[in-house]
Amino acid sequence: MTEVVALRPVRRWIRRAQASHRDRGDMLGTVYTALFSIAVLAVMAKDALTAVFSPLVPDLSGAGALASAAACAGLLFLALRRLGPVTVSRPATYFLLTAPVSRRKLLGPSLRAAAFGAALAGGAAAFGILGNAVADGSALLLAVGALSGVLLTLLASAAQARPRLASLTDTVARVAIAGGLAALVAETTGWTPPAFAGWPTASVLVPLTGALTVLVTAGFLLGVRDLARTPSAEVMESARTTGTLADSVYGMEPSFLSEMLERRYWARRRLRSARLPRRLPPLTGQDLLLAKRRPARLMWIAATTALPLLLISAPRWVLVIALLAGTVIAARTTTATVKTDAGNPVLLRTLGLNSRQVLLQRFWVPSALGVVWATVALALLQLAGALPPGHWWPLGVALGPIGAAAAVRAARTGFVRNDLIPIDTPMGSVPTGPVLYAFAGLDLLLLALPTVLRLVQGDPATASSIVLQVAVAVIGVQAYLTWTSDPGRVELSPR
Amino acid sequence: MSYGSTPVLVDVGLTVPAGAGVCVTGENGIGKSTLLRCVSSLQRPDSGTIRVFGDEPGDSPAFWRAVATTVEPPTWYLGLTTREHAELVCRAHGQDPSAAGIDEALERFGLAGHADAIPPSLSSGQKQRLTLALVLLRPSSLLILDEPEQRLDPDGRAMVAAMLADYLSTGGSLLLASHDDKFAVASGAEITSMEQLAARPATEPAAFPTAADGDQ
Repeated sequence: MTEVVALRPVRRWIRRAQASHRDRGDMLGTVYTALFSIAVLAVMAKDALTAVFSPLVPDLSGAGALASAAACAGLLFLALRRLGPVTVSRPATYFLLTAPVSRRKLLGPSLRAAAFGAALAGGAAAFGILGNAVADGSALLLAVGALSGVLLTLLASAAQARPRLASLTDTVARVAIAGGLAALVAETTGWTPPAFAGWPTASVLVPLTGALTVLVTAGFLLGVRDLARTPSAEVMESARTTGTLADSVYGMEPSFLSEMLERRYWARRRLRSARLPRRLPPLTGQDLLLAKRRPARLMWIAATTALPLLLISAPRWVLVIALLAGTVIAARTTTATVKTDAGNPVLLRTLGLNSRQVLLQRFWVPSALGVVWATVALALLQLAGALPPGHWWPLGVALGPIGAAAAVRAARTGFVRNDLIPIDTPMGSVPTGPVLYAFAGLDLLLLALPTVLRLVQGDPATASSIVLQVAVAVIGVQAYLTWTSDPGRVELSPR
Repeated sequence: MSYGSTPVLVDVGLTVPAGAGVCVTGENGIGKSTLLRCVSSLQRPDSGTIRVFGDEPGDSPAFWRAVATTVEPPTWYLGLTTREHAELVCRAHGQDPSAAGIDEALERFGLAGHADAIPPSLSSGQKQRLTLALVLLRPSSLLILDEPEQRLDPDGRAMVAAMLADYLSTGGSLLLASHDDKFAVASGAEITSMEQLAARPATEPAAFPTAADGDQ
């Protein structure tokens, strides 16, 4: 048996070999662009960031702060689980994971990096919650937030090696997110949470922080020792995820990541062939079948109809953006089929349908989901008294198809075009392709302008305004579907 | 037809009479697949004439209702099983899925045990058989197949050859590229080599389903 090979010299050799092929000037240029962009964006978004982290009128009660903390912790944990958190680079899965090197040393750096990132995220979350809370909390709570981030990393790393613990902790995290958001929604709609004794005083916080530090340190040492237990399959999967995430960021192509996650989701499912609904056109039947196969996603989407309630006290335009975004996200549930067809029309050619038939048949399910989401969300907002007078919920019938058209148009865009000429700005060059890609589909949301203006200006919803919006939606969506398709053409990608 | 400065198809003439089969043979890289792609309208020749059923091949629904091909590697719908892909193809062509013989086709191609699997989880040979099953299930007048015997075991080859012979006997036309002469003979196609094609011009295109006459 081969003895264990020291990892450090191997890694140093790899780094040196890579560095020798890289131009030092390039690296400095990248660092300069990144730092300058962050600085400029921070200045530009200063007001928005201040509004998020410490608004002028803080409105979180003690229970609300706890609920936000639970939701943030759940989100952070699920993000860590998605990324690994224990991972290596993709080349390392091939060359080092299979080599006789110490697993603990191979995987250690990723655990440290994840713990550092989670500590920053935990601290930022604690900072945000404190800024939004009515009462003043101790700055020590920031340390508690950061330490909790590290603790969550260690728990996620332990779960990575233990499938049972993983399913248990994932469920707890999802319940924490759902429960936290539900409590926040309930509070905004009038539920009075149980009285809170006030923020913990320094005499409680100091020992608590100390104990947490000891716990985290001990846990970290145990976690590092435990690293060798992480199965290779899990490490390889998280390496693929983080690698694809890096590709997505580097190539500014979000579909790399979303497609990989979607493929992985379906690969894990055990399906049983069903008959396509006879009365529906074949592609509508296919979309309906696919939507029914994702009950968890449908439930989350149903639950998100209550989220705009959280934005009642936010500026009206934020509420409008949330309403439109929610409608598009609900409609996107089945547009992966459109993306498949637009990216590669092989199956469309086998099906022998023309692009207009395909577009119309594939429009029904996203449209129905959009209508239901927008109608329910508007009805809830109206019930909570957050909207100007009048009946707003019938506008869901108009917003649904507009959201569906936006989702379908975004799916038809295919990949980011990186062949377009970039625009030079003081922050560096702005790539045109990704910007166009990001806004593809969103342009169709202009059709919702009559409703948007009424909401922003606080005008009541009258019968004539509803009729106007429905007419604009019907004409606009019909024009989109007709003009961008052709009964004499099979290909779905826009020309 | 050329790739960069490398000419691939020069002065090629080929005619596939209606209801007949032609199998193009030749070594790798000689341009068999390029020829099939040009006939399927998936690649545009630099010059020359191609007629399929008397018309220029193109991205029209009428063309793709008449022509079924395996020249391109397929993509699959995420979340749809093998059997559901077959049913979708039948329904899109207006066939009654229960009468189209989906289960029999999957059985014959050795895919009955994988009816509930999603196609990306199949092996490359199984995917190849599924692609063949789909193009044979749907109605068509011309089949264009690129090395359909690839990744099939000997029994599979014999079965596919018999199905292609069946297809020809019901009036369909067949154009395929293959490395396996025995397979081509069993499928009822006339064998012709790429060298022979370069030597002869296409005959009267109007009377025949496929005629390609290209030069660089």
